[in-house]
Amino acid sequence: MKKILVVDDDLDILTLVKLALTMNGFTVEAISRWEEVNNSLINFGPDLVLLDVSLNGADGRDICRKIKETDNTKHIPVILFSANANMSSFVHDCHAESFIAKPFELSHLLGTINTYTYKQN
Amino acid sequence: MLVKLSDISIRNKLVLMQMFTSVLVLSIVFAVFVITDINSYKERKVKSVKSIAQVVGTNSISTLQFQDEDAAKEILSELHNVAPEIINAAILDKNGNLFASYNRPGSDTFIIPSNKNVGSSTFHDHSLLVNNPIVNENEIIGNVFLNVELNELQQIKKSKYEITAVLLIVALGFSFLIGAAVQPYISKRLLRLLKTMNEVTESGDYSKKISDDGKDEISVLIKVYNNLMLQVRKNQQKKDEFIGIASHEFKTPLTSIKGYLDLLDLMENDEGKKQLVGKAQRNVNKLEVLIKDLLDVSKIQSGQLELNMQRFNIDELIKETIAAFQMLSPTHHLILKNTSGEAFVYADKQRIEQVLINLLSNAIKYSPGEKEVIISYEKNDTDMIIKITDFGIGIAEEERLNIFERFYRTKDISVHISGFGLGLYICRDIIKRHNGKIWVETQGKGSSFYFTLPLKTKEPVLQQKV
Repeated sequence: MKKILVVDDDLDILTLVKLALTMNGFTVEAISRWEEVNNSLINFGPDLVLLDVSLNGADGRDICRKIKETDNTKHIPVILFSANANMSSFVHDCHAESFIAKPFELSHLLGTINTYTYKQN
Repeated sequence: MLVKLSDISIRNKLVLMQMFTSVLVLSIVFAVFVITDINSYKERKVKSVKSIAQVVGTNSISTLQFQDEDAAKEILSELHNVAPEIINAAILDKNGNLFASYNRPGSDTFIIPSNKNVGSSTFHDHSLLVNNPIVNENEIIGNVFLNVELNELQQIKKSKYEITAVLLIVALGFSFLIGAAVQPYISKRLLRLLKTMNEVTESGDYSKKISDDGKDEISVLIKVYNNLMLQVRKNQQKKDEFIGIASHEFKTPLTSIKGYLDLLDLMENDEGKKQLVGKAQRNVNKLEVLIKDLLDVSKIQSGQLELNMQRFNIDELIKETIAAFQMLSPTHHLILKNTSGEAFVYADKQRIEQVLINLLSNAIKYSPGEKEVIISYEKNDTDMIIKITDFGIGIAEEERLNIFERFYRTKDISVHISGFGLGLYICRDIIKRHNGKIWVETQGKGSSFYFTLPLKTKEPVLQQKV
């Protein structure tokens, strides 16, 4: 079972994504505090990170850059998601694999996650 | 023909003003000089002629006393040597009868004027007539008439006029040069201000500042402009912040609602409940479109709508969009005609998809009933032209230009259509940003929307960053 780490400061969205992914056979760790990202990366060891851009007190793009700069984690695909559609143009800059604009279709979210977890195999 | 002063450019007005003022001032000055010059010449002339008349008079006293006409004539004929400019001369006795006269050889006989005011001097066109009394022991015993030629005066006048004319032309030339030299400091700066303002209006980039270190009114104007732009930038920044916050604050709860409804739909097996969820989903989608439209309009107005240009097959995009619509509104038949399978354009794929969705949903909205909507495209030398035709209610002639305006809704009350009236406004902006054109044609029943995208033969430089 593929492990997905979801980071979003909106608890409802966090629960939604966790439910939807769990229903589709993923193991999900959902965290709302960016401070816990490092911990989860080490302890949970996700196959993919779904990362909100505007987190309370931090920029998801910076976290993404950090993941991609660290040797142990740079292989993990990162999908950014944000309510600000303009953010799609920053995906390249922080080396994320993809971007999903909020609000999204669940099918689109699942499709994108499937694509990147499948690629890993 | 009278030219409206406001139609003349400031540049020309300045030069004209400069020239007009200098000519006016110089004309007045020259006129005063010429008149005083001529008058003083006349005074001197009268004085000198009168002194000649005085001499003639004094010499003639005895001739009058002794009625010696021959002597008088001799005195007068002497004038030929003394003052050759004298044309005629005459001595009258105290009764006013001609006593002796003299006519310069070759000139007409002198006719004694009727006006016999003693001591007077009269200027004629080319001559001066002086009438001087002959006084002996405080008694007037006759008078002397002298008619003097004034060719000199004509010459003086002529030369003065010539000098005046030459000086005026020189002054006119100089004032033109000065005007032309000074006007750049006024009009050039104004024109630069105007150019910048036009550029700013077109590009929406309010960061352009104009530097000007002068202290005149134009500098003040430029300073006011710079301050105004600063204000606009501040407001724009606030608006940008608002757009950012609004996108986030609107879209975050919408994401939850939409997602949970999707989830409910997946989990629910009861058809009746599924229908209710479906209704909620449709309305959430409507709300999503409205919010996106409003945010797009805000972005358009603050110049934030950016394009991710890429090369893509518009044939494919049209087919995908039609397929999505066919799922949503199976009542209408969306037909792609003249498909060639491959039609590459260089544009923002998502934005063009947005335009297609807008135009197709309009075509469906405004052609109620099971009707056809025909989509076609063709290429000319420079553009790809996409055409969407419906057979619905059409667009009234007077509305055709307005439909691309913001918040414009049809005046036709028989049509009840939901939405803000932003779709076509956004479409027009997107197409304009692609250097394309968008317009509508009506042919009795239904309407045809066209939009063009410039073709790029070169390989795309930018790739979409997703």
